[in-house]
Amino acid sequence: MGYFDVPEINYTRYSNRQLAAVPLAVLAVALLVLTGSFLVTGTPVQLGMDFAGGSELTVQTTSSEAEIANAFDEEPESIQAVAAPDTQNQYVIQFTSTDSSALREQAEQNLAQDGDADIVQLESTVSESFGSETQQTALLGIAAAFLGMSVLAFLFFRTFVPSIAIVISAFSDLVIPLAFMAIAGISLSLGTVAALLMLIGYSVDSDILLNNHILRRSGDFYESTNRAMETGVTMTVTSMSAMLVMGVTAWLFGVELLASIGIILFVGLAADLMNTYMLNLSLLRWYKFHGVRS
Amino acid sequence: MGPISFIKEHWRLLLLVAFVTGAMVALFVPGGIMADDSYVESQDDNPTNLEYGLGLDGGTRISAPVVGMTAENIDAGAVNEEDGSVDRQRLTEIEQTLYDNDEFDLETGNARVSVDDDGNVHAEIFTDEVTRAQFAAALAEAGVEVDPEEDIRDGVTAQTRAQIVETITSKINAAGLSGGTAYESARFGGEYYIVTEVPDMDPDELRALLSERGIVEVVAYYPGENGTQTNETVLTGADIATVDPPRPSERGSGYEVPVQVDSNAAADYQDRMNDIGFTGEGVGQCSLRGDGETISFDHADEQYCLLTVVDGEVVDAHSMGPTLASSMADGTWANDPSFFMGAQTQQQGAALSVNLQAGALPAPLDLEQEQTLSLSPALADQFKLYSLLIGALSVVTVSGVVFLRYSDVRVATPMIVTAMAEVVILLGFAALIRMPLDLSHVAGFIAVVGTGVDDLIIIADEVMDDGDVSSQRVFESRFRKAFWVIGAAAATTIIAMSPLAVLSLGDLRGFAIITILGVLVGVLITRPAYGDILQRLLTDK
Repeated sequence: MGYFDVPEINYTRYSNRQLAAVPLAVLAVALLVLTGSFLVTGTPVQLGMDFAGGSELTVQTTSSEAEIANAFDEEPESIQAVAAPDTQNQYVIQFTSTDSSALREQAEQNLAQDGDADIVQLESTVSESFGSETQQTALLGIAAAFLGMSVLAFLFFRTFVPSIAIVISAFSDLVIPLAFMAIAGISLSLGTVAALLMLIGYSVDSDILLNNHILRRSGDFYESTNRAMETGVTMTVTSMSAMLVMGVTAWLFGVELLASIGIILFVGLAADLMNTYMLNLSLLRWYKFHGVRS
Repeated sequence: MGPISFIKEHWRLLLLVAFVTGAMVALFVPGGIMADDSYVESQDDNPTNLEYGLGLDGGTRISAPVVGMTAENIDAGAVNEEDGSVDRQRLTEIEQTLYDNDEFDLETGNARVSVDDDGNVHAEIFTDEVTRAQFAAALAEAGVEVDPEEDIRDGVTAQTRAQIVETITSKINAAGLSGGTAYESARFGGEYYIVTEVPDMDPDELRALLSERGIVEVVAYYPGENGTQTNETVLTGADIATVDPPRPSERGSGYEVPVQVDSNAAADYQDRMNDIGFTGEGVGQCSLRGDGETISFDHADEQYCLLTVVDGEVVDAHSMGPTLASSMADGTWANDPSFFMGAQTQQQGAALSVNLQAGALPAPLDLEQEQTLSLSPALADQFKLYSLLIGALSVVTVSGVVFLRYSDVRVATPMIVTAMAEVVILLGFAALIRMPLDLSHVAGFIAVVGTGVDDLIIIADEVMDDGDVSSQRVFESRFRKAFWVIGAAAATTIIAMSPLAVLSLGDLRGFAIITILGVLVGVLITRPAYGDILQRLLTDK
C-alpha cells in the first residue's frame, strides 16, 4: 500500500514510563522556556502589534533596506522584504509607535517612489488600549475553547484516564508551539491565536481516533494501536504538509496572517504526533492493563 | 431500477451534486440565485459573484470608541409613570444645568439628556475631561441623585451610538463616495467601537472626517445694549430642513449653500431677526472679512453679521441682504423660509453642505484609541492573487500526500474531488449571503480542506479495513463506525472555534465562521457522499 507507509512501532519494547518520559520532558522544557521568558520580558511570548499596539506599513519603494531603516524618526521594529512572484521593491515595516499619520508622512517624504505606485500600500495601527483589550478577549477565547474541548472529551469517553489523556496532550500541543514562538521570536498575533484555537480542534482528532480504536473496538491492544496510527499519522502528516506549504509561501509573500497560522499549526501538529503516540498511548496502555475499571 | 429506489440508494451523492450545482449558480451566474443584478453591474471585472472585504479589495477602516460617560436610568422625574408622557422641559432643564456647571466648561453638543423607548432617562456627557464625581455633582445640582461609582459608566447609550453610525454613514456617502459603511462592534468588557470602512480614502482623510463633529450654528453678531458686540445663536443645524449643494455666491465673493429652515423654527428666527435689528438698521452692515479660513474680528463700526459657525469655528460672516430683510420685516419670509448660508471657499461650502445634510456627530470619537487598517487596491489585488496561489499550492500538497499514501487512484481521486466540492459549496454560500471575503476567510478555506481530507482518510481507512468490502451490510457498519470518530472530531473543532465566531476578535471572525460552516457542510453533505462513492467503487456494484 502506498509509497509511504506509516511505520509500525514495536511498543512492547518500551515501558510506559519510558514512553511518557519524552513528551513530558519536552513539555517541561517548554514550560521552563515560557516561565523564563515571562520572568525576563513580562510576558511568556512576545506580544505582536495586535496585542501590544503599534503600526505596520507596507511600502513600495526603490530605496534600499538601509535607507528605509533611516527614513523614519523612530527605528523600525522589523523590515521584511516581500518575495512574491511579480512583486519587487515591497517591504513590510513594523513600528512600536502608533502615530501612523506621521509614519506615513515620513515614508512619503523620505522614500523613493517606484514608478507610479503609491509608496504606502498598507497602513495599519492598533492603539495600546485596543491591543490590551484584544489580549484579554483572546485569552478568554482560548480558555473557553480549551474548557469546551475538555468537557466534550469527558462526554465522549466517560472514563477518567482516557479523557484526561486527551486533555493533557491537547495542553501540551498548545504549550509546545508557544515555547517555539518564544524561542523563534515569533510574536503572538491574531493569526497565531487562531492557529492555537485551531490546534485545540485539530490535535484532538488523532487522540479521539486512538482512544476510539483502543477502547471501543474488540481486538488486541497493539493491533488496534497500529491501525489507529496508520490512519492518524496519515491525517496529521497531510495536514502538516498543507500547513507547511501555506506557512512558507504566505511568509514569502508577506501575508502575515496566513503565514503565522500555517507555521504554528505545523509545529503544533508535530508536537501532537509525539503527544498522541507517546503520552496518550502510554496512559491508555496503563489504563488498559493496570488501571482500575469502574 | 425505478426513480424512487434510485434516489433512495444514491441520496447522499445526489445531495452533494445538488449542493455543488447550487453553489456554482450562486458563484457564476450573474446575479446569482437572488437574480438581483443591481450589484453585479457595478463590479464587472469580477468573474464571480464573490464579494471581497477590505483586506482583498483595498480601502480604509478606522475603529474607535466614543468619548463620553453615561448616567443610565436616572430618576429625573420627567416621565409620567402612569401614561408614559415625557416632560421635555424638565429634560432640557437638566441638560442646561450640565452646560451651566462651573467646574467643567462643556461645549455645545457635549451634553444630552434623553428618554429611550422604554421610558428610561439617560444623561450623557461627551468629554473625557470630567470625572465621574464631577458629573454626579452636576446632576445633583439639577436635582438628580446618582452614585458616581454605581450609576455612571464609560461609553454612551445605544441610541447615541446608532445615531453616530447613521451620521457617519450619510457623511461618508454625502462626500461623494459610494460603498462606505459604518457599524458598531461590541468589544469584550462591554465597550463599543464605531467602525467605519471606506473604499477610497486614505486614513488621514477619513480621520479628518471622523474627527469633525460637524455642529453647525448660525450666530448673530450684533451691537448689544451697552455698545459692545453680542453673540447669539439664532439657528442650529437641527433647524435646517433641506440643503442644496454649494454654489458660487451671486453677490460678491465666496460660496453659498442654499438652505430651507424647518417650518417650526422659521417664525422664531424671523421674529428674532426683527427684534435685534437685522432687518432694520442692520441691513448690509457687516464689514468683517476672512482670509479664506477664519474671520478677522477687527472692526471699528457697529456690525450686524450672521456668522456661520462650524464646531465652534467661525467660517464666514455675512450681512443680511435687503430683499431678505424686507420679506422678514413684513413677516412673509416664514411662509417660504429659505436663505443662503455663506462659506469662503468651495471646500468650506461642500463641508458645510455635508455637515448640514448628515447632521452633527452626536458625540466625538476617541481617535487616540483607534485601530486603523488601510490597504491600496493594488496591494489588495496582489493579496487576491496570493490567496489563490497559496490555496492552490495547499490543495496540490494535500493531493500529493494522499496519492502517495494510497497509490490507489480510486480512493485518492474522489477524496480530492470531495474536499474541493466542500470548498465550492462554501464559496457558493459566501456568494449567496454576500459575505465579504478577507484573508482570514482564505485561511478558513485552507483549514477546511485540511480537516475535510483528514475525515475522508478516516472513512477510507475504516471502510477498507481488513481486506475487501464484500457486502453492503459490511460497508454500512464500517461507515457508521468511522462516522462516530468524524462526528466527535467535528464537535471538538466547532467547540474550539466558536469563541472566535462569537467574540469580536477583529479579522478572525471570518476564519472561525468559515471553519465551522466547513465542518458542518463536511459532516452533513460531503463526507456521506464520499462514503457512497467509495462504496460504489469498492463493492463493484
